[in-house]
Amino acid sequence: MLIRIKGAHIVDPANRRDEIGDLWIRDDTIVAAPQDGAQADETVDASGLIAMAGGIDIHSHIAGANVNTARLMLPEQHRAHARRPAETPLSKVGWTTFETGRLYAEMGFTTVVEPAVAPHNALHAHLELADTPIIDKAILAILGNDDFVLSLLRSGETSAIRDHIAWTLQSTRALGIKVVNAGGVAAFKDNIRSFSFDDVVPYYGVTSRAIVKALQRAVHEAGVPHPLHVHCNNLGLPGNFETALTTIASAEDLPLHLAHLQFYGYGKEGPQGFSSAAPQLAEAVNAAKNVTVDVGQLMFGQTVTISSDVLRQFSARGQARPKKYAIADGDSNGFGIVPYEYRAGSFHNAVQFAVGLELFLLINDPWRVFFTTDHPNGAPFTTYPEIFALLMDKDVRAEWASRLPADALAVTTLPSLTREYTLSEIATMTRAAPAKLLGLPNRGHLGAGARADVALYRPAKDIAQMFRAAARVYKDGELVVDEGEVTRTRYGRALHVTPVVEASMQRRMTEYYDERYGLPSDFMRVPQGAIGRPQPFEVVACRS
Amino acid sequence: MSLKNSVSAEATASIDGAPASLDEAAMAAARLLARSRQPLIAGLGADVGGARAAIALAERIGGVIEHMHSAALLRDLDCLRETGIMLTTPGEARVRANVVLLVGDGLTEAWPALNERLLRPPARPDGVDVARRIVWLAPAIDARIRGFEGNIEIWGAGRGATLAVNLAALRARVKNRRIASRQSARSELPLSALDALAATLKGARFGVAVWTAASLGALEIEMLHGLVRDLNETTRFSTLPLAEPDNSAGVLAAYGWTTGFPVRTGFGAGFPIHDPWRFDAERLVASGETDCVLWISAFEASPPAWRSAVNFIALCERRTQFAETPNVRITVGRPGVDHDAVMHSSDVGTLVAATASARSGAPSVAQALERIGACLEDASARPC
Repeated sequence: MLIRIKGAHIVDPANRRDEIGDLWIRDDTIVAAPQDGAQADETVDASGLIAMAGGIDIHSHIAGANVNTARLMLPEQHRAHARRPAETPLSKVGWTTFETGRLYAEMGFTTVVEPAVAPHNALHAHLELADTPIIDKAILAILGNDDFVLSLLRSGETSAIRDHIAWTLQSTRALGIKVVNAGGVAAFKDNIRSFSFDDVVPYYGVTSRAIVKALQRAVHEAGVPHPLHVHCNNLGLPGNFETALTTIASAEDLPLHLAHLQFYGYGKEGPQGFSSAAPQLAEAVNAAKNVTVDVGQLMFGQTVTISSDVLRQFSARGQARPKKYAIADGDSNGFGIVPYEYRAGSFHNAVQFAVGLELFLLINDPWRVFFTTDHPNGAPFTTYPEIFALLMDKDVRAEWASRLPADALAVTTLPSLTREYTLSEIATMTRAAPAKLLGLPNRGHLGAGARADVALYRPAKDIAQMFRAAARVYKDGELVVDEGEVTRTRYGRALHVTPVVEASMQRRMTEYYDERYGLPSDFMRVPQGAIGRPQPFEVVACRS
Repeated sequence: MSLKNSVSAEATASIDGAPASLDEAAMAAARLLARSRQPLIAGLGADVGGARAAIALAERIGGVIEHMHSAALLRDLDCLRETGIMLTTPGEARVRANVVLLVGDGLTEAWPALNERLLRPPARPDGVDVARRIVWLAPAIDARIRGFEGNIEIWGAGRGATLAVNLAALRARVKNRRIASRQSARSELPLSALDALAATLKGARFGVAVWTAASLGALEIEMLHGLVRDLNETTRFSTLPLAEPDNSAGVLAAYGWTTGFPVRTGFGAGFPIHDPWRFDAERLVASGETDCVLWISAFEASPPAWRSAVNFIALCERRTQFAETPNVRITVGRPGVDHDAVMHSSDVGTLVAATASARSGAPSVAQALERIGACLEDASARPC
C-alpha cells in the first residue's frame, strides 16, 4: 500500500523541513518520493493542512495500579465523564484505558510513556496498556526507595546498581528508570515527614543526592537511552526551587531528566510567602546542557493527583477536594492519591499556572523542555490543546491572565513575557525531542525510514481547536482518525529496552526475594502470553 | 491461538443435562443470551483474561456484571470512595511491621499463608530485627491461627456484635478523648484494656491492621480506617485488607480500567452505569429483572447462594453441583492449574502471571466466552 499525502505544510524539525511538500507512506513506513514514477494507491489532498509526526508524550500517568485505584476512588468523575457535554470540567478526564487511547489519538499523539510503575506492579501496568488502543506506550520502572538499591548503596556496591537496573528493566519490560523523591519515600516509612537532597535515609545512611547520582550514572553506563528520570524532593513546597537547582547542579556532566519542573518553581517572596522562581530555574536549565526537563503545566479545574511520592501525598492529604485520599506504603515507592481542584481564583494555583508558562517561555531550547501536564496531576492531558494556544499566542495568555488574581501575577514574570512558540518549536517539543530523549530513532520525524505515525491538522484561528481534533491521524500507516474522530481501533505496542543481565545478578535476586519475601524472583515477570494481544511488545535498542 | 486448536476433546459440556459438544453448548448459550431482555453475568470467579472477556461480552449484550464476593468487596471499596485510607502491601507488612493488629475472624480462610508470611518473627528489610507484637481484636472465643505457635495478645474475644463499640472506644482513647462508662457485656473492653491497647498501637513504629471484609461490617471497617488515620498523626500505621477469594481483586482491577467502575455495573444504557443496589445479582434474580443468568466460577465448585428460576448458563469448575440443572453447562479449566493465567496474588498484593500446574485441554473462561460471543451473531438463525 503506497499513500501520497499531497501538498501539506510539513513541519518536521528533525529533518529541518518547514515547507509545502508531499509525504509518502509505504505500509507502515515513511519513504522517499518514488524515483521510478510509481503511482500511489491512494492520494490524500492535504493542501492547507499541517503535517507533523505523531506526538510523543514522555510523562503521563495513564495506566497501572495507582491510576486504577484513582478510577475506583472517584466514580463520580466517571459518571460525569460519561454523561456530560464537552464543556464541563469533569468531561476532560479520559478515564478508562479505551478513552485514554482514543483521546490521545484524536489529538494526534501516537506514543505515550506511563512514567511511574513500581517493579512489582509491572504486569498490571502492561495489561492496562494492552487495553489502551491505537497508541504505542511504555513504562518507566521506579527504583531508589527500595531496600535492594538502598542496601547496595549502604554497602558501597555502586557497581552492582547497573546490573540491578538491567535486571529490573528486563523483568518489567520498561523503557527507562525513574526515581521519585529519592530516599524520602523510604524515610517516610520510618516516620520522617520532610526530606531534602542532603538528608539521610535512616539505617541505610545514604542521602538523596547519593541515590540520584548513583542511579544516574548506572542508567548511563547500562546504555539505556533515556537518562534517569527524576522526581525531586520537596515537591510543591514554597522555596523548593533551590532543591531543583541543587539537583541540577549535582548532575555534573551526565544526562539527567527532571520531571514536572513547574512543581519545583516556587520561591518564598511576596505577601503570601509564595512566588514564582521560574526565572532562576529557567536560567539554570538554559546553562546546563546535559539537563532536560518537562513542565507539568497546571490548568484550572477538577483533577486527581496520583503520585509515587508517598511522603508528599501524605502531607497534601488535608487539601483533598473532594475529601478523600489513599496513601499506600509500597514494597518500593507505593502511591498517594489525592483528588484536587485547581481554582483560577486561588492565589497559589494562579502562581502555579504562571510558573509553568514561564518555564515554557523562558527555557530557550525546545529540544530540552518537554510538553506535559504530568497528567492528571497538573491537569488532564485533554487540556493540551488549550496549552498549545497559550504558548503560541500571547493574546490568549493575556486573556487568561486577566481572569487571575492580580496579586498572584505580581509575584511572577508572566505578564512581561511576549515569546510565542512557532509550529516548528511545538513540533520539536512534542515530536523530535521526545524521540531523541527516549532513544526512538524511527519516531518523532517524517524522514524516510520513520514509522508512519502522522498527524494532519487543519489550521484555525482557534489554535486549541486545531490541536484538539486532528484532521487525520495515521498510526503505522493506517488511518485511525478522520476529522477528529477515531475511525479505526487497533492496538499498539509497549516499547522496552533489554539490556544484558549478568547471571550473577539473576542469582542474587533469586536469593534476595526468597530470603526477604519468601517469593520467587520471577513473580514480577511480564510474559508475552499473559498480555492477551498479539505482538504486544517492541524492543528499543540500548546504546552499545 | 484459536480455540479449536487449543481446547481438547476432553472439554465437557451439556445442554439441559444431556452431553453436548462445546460448540453446541456455546450456541445454546448464545441463543439464550441473544433472547434475553436483561442478561446478568454473575459469580465471575475468573482470571483476569476471563474478566476482560466477560466485560466485553456484557458490553456487547447490554448485560450486568456482578461478582460472588461483591458485598464484601464493596464494603472495603466504599471506604476508598468516601474517606481517607492508608494501605500497604503483604511484602511491606511482612518485613517492616513491628505491631500487627488482626481484627475479626476469617483471616486464615481469606489468606491461608497469613501465619507463614506475616506472623513469624520478621527481619526488617534493612536488617534490624524487630520484636513483633501480634494483637488480635475480636476473634471468636478460643480462636487460633492455624499452625502459629507464637504469642498472640487477644482482646475482646466473643461474638462480633461489640466490635464496633470497642473500635470506637479504642479510637477515642488513642486520641485521649473521654468515653462513656463501659457496659457490662463480656466482650466489651474495660477502660484499662482499651488504654493498654491504645498504648501498644501508638507505640508502634510501623503498625499494620489486617482484616477481611467478609467478617466485618461497613461501619467497623470505616472506624478501623479512622483509627489508622489518627495513629498516623504521630506514628506510622497502615492497613492490609485481605483480598476476597476467587480473584475478586483481579476482577475488580480489570473492571476498573476497562469501565472505570467496580463490579455491579450494567451496560443496558449503552454505557457503563455503576449502582451497587440496582445491579446486585441476588436482587436482580429475586425481583425478576433479569431473565438469564450466566454464572462463572472457575476456581471453586461454587453454585450461587441464591436460587434462580430463570434461564441459567454455567461456566463452572468440573465438580460443581447446582440445585437445578443448568440450561447450559460448560466445564472450564481452573486458572493457573489447567491453563496459564493472570490473577491477583494475596502473597504479593498485585497481579501475577501463573503458569499452569497441571495443564489440560479444558477451555479457559475467556475461551468459552469468546466461543459464545462468536455464536451470538448467528444465535437467532442457525447452529454455530
